[in-house]
Amino acid sequence: MASIDRRDFLKLVGAGGVGTGAGFMLREAIKHPVENLVPYPVPPEDFSPGIATWYNTVCSMCSAGCGITVRTREGRAKKIEGNPSHPVSQGRLCARGQAGLQVLYNPDRVTTPLQQTGERGSGDWLPLTWTEGLSQISGRLGELRSSGQGGAVCLLSEGQRGHMHGLFEQFMANIGSDRLVYYDYDHPHPLLAAMNRLFGTSELPYFDLGNTDYLVSFGADYLGSWLSPVHHGLGFGRSRQGRDHHRGRFVQIEPRMTLSGAAADEWIAAIPGTEGIIALAMANRIVSQGGYQGDDADAWAAALEPYSADAVAEQTGVAAETIARVADTFAGTGPSLAIGGDGAGRHSNGVDALTAITALNYLAGNLGIEGGLIFNPEPVAGQGAAARHASYRSMLELAEDAREGRIQVLIVNQANPVFTMPAAAGIGEALARIPLIVSLSSFMDETTAMADLILPSHTYLEAWGDDFPEPGVGFRAGAISQPVVSPLYDTRDTGDTLLAVAAAVNPDGALTAATTEEYLREQWRAIFERDAPTEEGTAQAQEAIAAETVEAAAEVVAQAAPEDDAAADAPANAEAAVAQVAPAEGAVATNPDPAGWMPDAFDEFWNSLLRAGVWGENTRAEQGPVTVDASVIDAIGVDAPEFAGSSETYPFILQPYLSLNMHDGSGANLPWMQELPDPLTSVVYGSWLEINPETARELGLRDGDLVDVESPQGTISVPVLTFPAIMPNVVAMPVGQGHSEFGRYASGRGANPIEILAPQVEPETGSLAWNATRVRLNPTGRRANLVRTSGLSRDLGRGIIQTTATGEAEEHASTKLRSIPITVEPA
Amino acid sequence: MSFIDDFLASWREYREPGYYDGFDYHWTMSVDLDRCTGCGACITACQAENNIPIVGEDAIARGREMQWIRIEKYWEGEFPDVKLRFIPMLCQHCDAAPCETVCPVSATYHNQDGLNAQVYNRCIGTRSCAVYCPYEVRYFNYNNHHWDAPLEQQLNPDVSVREKGVMEKCSFCIQRIRQAKDVAKDEGRRVQDGDVQPACVQTCPTEALVFGDQNDPDSRVSQTMNDERAYHVLEELNTAPSVVYLRKVETDAV
Repeated sequence: MASIDRRDFLKLVGAGGVGTGAGFMLREAIKHPVENLVPYPVPPEDFSPGIATWYNTVCSMCSAGCGITVRTREGRAKKIEGNPSHPVSQGRLCARGQAGLQVLYNPDRVTTPLQQTGERGSGDWLPLTWTEGLSQISGRLGELRSSGQGGAVCLLSEGQRGHMHGLFEQFMANIGSDRLVYYDYDHPHPLLAAMNRLFGTSELPYFDLGNTDYLVSFGADYLGSWLSPVHHGLGFGRSRQGRDHHRGRFVQIEPRMTLSGAAADEWIAAIPGTEGIIALAMANRIVSQGGYQGDDADAWAAALEPYSADAVAEQTGVAAETIARVADTFAGTGPSLAIGGDGAGRHSNGVDALTAITALNYLAGNLGIEGGLIFNPEPVAGQGAAARHASYRSMLELAEDAREGRIQVLIVNQANPVFTMPAAAGIGEALARIPLIVSLSSFMDETTAMADLILPSHTYLEAWGDDFPEPGVGFRAGAISQPVVSPLYDTRDTGDTLLAVAAAVNPDGALTAATTEEYLREQWRAIFERDAPTEEGTAQAQEAIAAETVEAAAEVVAQAAPEDDAAADAPANAEAAVAQVAPAEGAVATNPDPAGWMPDAFDEFWNSLLRAGVWGENTRAEQGPVTVDASVIDAIGVDAPEFAGSSETYPFILQPYLSLNMHDGSGANLPWMQELPDPLTSVVYGSWLEINPETARELGLRDGDLVDVESPQGTISVPVLTFPAIMPNVVAMPVGQGHSEFGRYASGRGANPIEILAPQVEPETGSLAWNATRVRLNPTGRRANLVRTSGLSRDLGRGIIQTTATGEAEEHASTKLRSIPITVEPA
Repeated sequence: MSFIDDFLASWREYREPGYYDGFDYHWTMSVDLDRCTGCGACITACQAENNIPIVGEDAIARGREMQWIRIEKYWEGEFPDVKLRFIPMLCQHCDAAPCETVCPVSATYHNQDGLNAQVYNRCIGTRSCAVYCPYEVRYFNYNNHHWDAPLEQQLNPDVSVREKGVMEKCSFCIQRIRQAKDVAKDEGRRVQDGDVQPACVQTCPTEALVFGDQNDPDSRVSQTMNDERAYHVLEELNTAPSVVYLRKVETDAV
């Protein structure tokens, strides 16, 4: 038997004790963290587990301003739908609008303030606190302001509307600078200039597609990427099959078939840049055939004299008979509508062309009538925003100022000119001369990558704002944008950042609100008070105001119930359903504070506004007769378009078009948009160059062959794709890919056609004539990976898509939905 | 013997058109090709609603895309007289579905609402159904899919996430139908027209898609089915689809 003496015993006891302790510590260290079975024992008060909550806000994926309603569960946004009460979207939404959730939950967001520690563009970012970040920018701005150099501060932002524009203006006034610049690649400068020249209005008009009988579109991809695609889609559907009387017809005139061209009843190929000349030939035909009987008919006849259909046929590539036929139908069908878009407007003759196209509506008597072109009233807020929108030319001036050292601080908000301006503009190199660049963007895009300091903003689903859609819908309407989820990261509302900086730099300035929400409330109080019914008018107003409709709208939205049977009358519905100014007593039933806090009339208004998500008038103002100034008629005319590069050296005209998925590139970081097949070519995850099949055969090119596309300004490599609906001397390419930054889904994918565009501008507006660059194709002999989802591109007699001519429908009636019973004989 | 007789009798009944009219609902969708512009809003709406994974470029290059509704495109003619026509293609929820009869484990079956349902945790991945489907609208999970954080926070809690080896396809947003039926049951009524619409129908900007109950003669979809333009794709196969297409109207140039 082993003997244990006292010493050994104590050693063993000691070792055991240490071992036990160590074991305990070890176990504590490696055991799983505590997880609660129920994640929210005390749930936040604005949601119940398992029940969806819906919030109304405004889509920011493009500039159309659709009202949306977002489904949230347990504090997370799950699905975006159109807001049925909003006059623009009326419950509908496009693919990009749906993908807004991937902006919010994008893995590549900037999550915290960052400071560039290495060289610019090195990507060495040091996380900061907001206090540090804000004090850096405020300190510098304060120095500049107190030394009288406030004017050396530039705020370069994506376009702002409504009261956010007011906030931006006041912020700049506080700093003492006038350099507030909005930059959007596709801002419709040429259309605005044409409207101004013809009618003296500075608003975009409302195109009433839903009620039109005959639409002629000159290069306007109104269903894909132009102005307000969802609203145009609604109108298109109703005009086609949603009305009791006959079906509307659609004509598209353009060199390369767009989505709208495919949807049209007739697609007419025209040489790029000659759309305006075709419009003048149509006008000539209308006037010379006596289709226009106005007082100024003689002036029109004189001005249009050189543009007979026969004279322009060769120049435009459209047969004289076709022009005459379309013109006759246009004048003989009422209401008809002529619209001109980016295809026509982005040439050296863009404003003249759009003027000619818009004038067709004047000659055919389509102004201010249902189914025609309706003038929009001035928006309720955000006047002056249009003047801040920079054209290509004014961006060049900005670049020059940067090079000359006249800009000390650049604040960038969501704008990305480094990606959406041609390399020829040298904007990247110019911005690099600015001593301090601060970015407020949510993503690391090409412009933000050059910044010294990033103060990241919320995405639109976390932020406050408001919007008055442009183009409007013919009557005044607005919508509030409110957070639908708590901020995911350490980011801030753009407005909050600006307010904090303004308060630090100039505490005595006019901008006193502490938060964007407070600022907006104050602004909307002004609208509420201005439009509140007068004493004697109140009783009548209360009757007239459909108090229930506010409730009903909120109800509909809360349940996300679909539109009712009256969907066909939705424009009228939407007008009726929008929140009313000064809702009648009891219109807002819920009092958020049961303790007895009594909301005043404005609080009621504000709450119903947040609930319905939309505000507006329910009538369209009467419009008087419109006359066009005689000098405008005399001057009407469209020159031949000018192109950069000679046609011998550069045989093809390049048409870079806005992609439906990625728009100007801002959608490229959304995996859903990368994976959504392009509507016309089915290509996913990449760039391609569209070329006529016959031309491709002559050049010996097949789908997927990599070519160098060379313009006078540079070269990009991109695979070829034969496209049956493009003119032989034209090649087209979607904008949106070719990012060098912008996160894992976008960067290093495809090529950016904007890069090689020549700096051609439309002389009147200075906007980029992006359709006016010639290129040549140099085959590389290599193949590229062109990924497409589609199978066969031809039906081959399978009858998958069946068609019917008007009047033939009865013929099918006997065969409809036949079903052959299958009987199995019992054994 | 009697077992075989019984089986054949019920089989015959099941294959008879109109069998599902005897039940409460017969969910149907109509697609107006004269309104459809091919914009693809339905595709993204469906992806968002039904937790459809991002499969990536390589998978699509191998033909393994995963979109329950797609837009097929067919060119007609040559430049300059060229047309491009679109047709949204999704599970047709055939009343005589070829996919249902071949599944060895009955993972896909017809439920009493006329829906072609897929039981994910019964599916063993033989892919026979995809072979038999003439519309090619069944999609197989060749991999376990992954959402880069925090994209997974968008996932719809009402829809299960599928894993490798499982076939999936359009369900007519059955989670929305179930919810509408629950609400209707609590209120002691039938589901009314407009109570429920799948994600694609709700978002369609041109209102080309209409969804409803074929058994309700007043529903919008019953009315569109009676339109003289109505037809079924691949009608000759006699699959009795629950998706009705309305012919595209093509006018001569006027």
